[in-house]
Amino acid sequence: MFRQTAIKTITMGLLVALLVVYAMRSGFYGRELVIEASALIILAVSLDIVAGYGGMISLCHGAIFGIGAYVFAVMTTTYGIDPWIALPASILGGAVFGWLVGAITSRTKGIFFIMATLAFGQMVHVFTFENRWLGGDDGLSGVTRLNLSAIGVDLDNSLNFALFSIALASISYVLAALVLRSGFGRTLVGIRSNELRMRALGLTVWKHKAAAFAFSGALAGLAGTIAAQQTMFVSPTMMNWMTSGEVLVMVILGGLGTLVGPAVGAVLVVFLEHQLSGFTRHWHLIMGLVLIAVVVLGNRGFYGQIEHWLTRRRKPPQDASAVEKSESSHA
Amino acid sequence: MLETTGLIKNFGQIKVTQNVSLKVEKGERRVILGPNGAGKTTLFNLLVGELRPSAGSIKLAGKDVTPLPVNVRGRLGLGRSYQKNNLFNELTLRENLTLAVATARGAAGWLRRDTLADGGIRETVEDVAAQVALTGLLDHPVNAVSYGARRQLEVGLALATRPLVLLMDEPTSGVGPEMIRAFHDLLKSLPRDLTVVIIEHDMDLALDVADQVTVLNHGEVVFDGTPSEARGSSLVNDIYLGTWAHA
Repeated sequence: MFRQTAIKTITMGLLVALLVVYAMRSGFYGRELVIEASALIILAVSLDIVAGYGGMISLCHGAIFGIGAYVFAVMTTTYGIDPWIALPASILGGAVFGWLVGAITSRTKGIFFIMATLAFGQMVHVFTFENRWLGGDDGLSGVTRLNLSAIGVDLDNSLNFALFSIALASISYVLAALVLRSGFGRTLVGIRSNELRMRALGLTVWKHKAAAFAFSGALAGLAGTIAAQQTMFVSPTMMNWMTSGEVLVMVILGGLGTLVGPAVGAVLVVFLEHQLSGFTRHWHLIMGLVLIAVVVLGNRGFYGQIEHWLTRRRKPPQDASAVEKSESSHA
Repeated sequence: MLETTGLIKNFGQIKVTQNVSLKVEKGERRVILGPNGAGKTTLFNLLVGELRPSAGSIKLAGKDVTPLPVNVRGRLGLGRSYQKNNLFNELTLRENLTLAVATARGAAGWLRRDTLADGGIRETVEDVAAQVALTGLLDHPVNAVSYGARRQLEVGLALATRPLVLLMDEPTSGVGPEMIRAFHDLLKSLPRDLTVVIIEHDMDLALDVADQVTVLNHGEVVFDGTPSEARGSSLVNDIYLGTWAHA
């Protein structure tokens, strides 16, 4: 079950500090990378809630990310609605879609669950691609950013927007950690571990899964609003199943079911992609090899493996005498 | 407390449960006996809602629960331990019991409070652990404890929901004589107002704890009586010696 250990706190703290320092010391392009990484941290954390802690590997998180971005873009560009109203509406849009996906797919498992989420994602992608009201394949441009002038912050400034994105990513992580540490989060892990037993204990499993997907969807929607504001443009490409696949790669690279790991994975992928693409056009090949290596060597991801080593070193060996003692007490 | 009327379950042409009518009173210890394949576990699956009957009805505390799903029956007070361990294997024993206690208390959806840290839930978890003699193992993962401890946890999970009726499917399956004695003590120590239905192969244990014995063979009730009647019944003995054949 989830525990906000010192290792997790230190790693997340270092990650945030690294992003802040990088944003402050680099130019426009570096800050763009930080904003992209922050949005993807939120998306990866949102996916880890359902995939890592709920055992529901979703291939529609790209679509939920896109729904958040599109709700924000349509409200601010087509209808000229204040971004501060569009923001909660986008989060709500992600939550509602997530709840629907969770509720409808809750009885499916394994590959069938993955395929069902893929179908949901592709439906949204194709609908958006073919809908002129949503800009079709051209997308929508002219998305406005949130206005923080009341507190003297200009979000059109790239550094300010990068720091704002990092703050949102940090808040999202804390929220996710709080939920996973609550009764709700504990139950979600119980469902992942043994859904049939949870049902026998009296839990209405589908409602719990749907609620978990709704929370995850809300965070994915928030990530979408950052992406929309960053480029001030949305397109159906962001809803493609490839986006879902890339986020899943980040989660697995960092460490599925560790919460911090996916955040590490998101930053690693964004910055490795940036570095590798400077050397070769075939950077996807290198990323693929890295992913294969991670999966083959331990299956825990970068952060997951480090956490495993550290906790194993600190944990005393299994107290076999306690087991024996308990058994002999029945004699 | 628990009543079935004309319960039938067919899998295609195979009749697994045939017209089973039982009436288990509040606080009663009912033991279900029968050879392998007699339909005992199927009967439990019908009682808890994991299988839907082909015909017949099930009442719990006077309420018809036949159309209700497993989770609702669980909430209404039907607790079950399984013949094969059905646990949360990668979690600790404390986490296992916490899940059961929290679900029974309606705390499974808490967003602001941690069920593992809640004082009331912890207290109940520790009480249940003491009841099934697992106190010293609470913080061990399930997959690190012995088979016997897992059998105890299996019963502990069912007890942790504070059921009205506890259904125990071969709690001593696969354990040694010492553990059988421990289960005997546990069964004797359960509150008298708790209704218990047990499927058990160990005749000595079964007949010692039972108020009433029901014997199933080929899915139908072939004997219903007290333990002393069961001991004296040539039919029951024949079924256990394998010399009785269905007419």
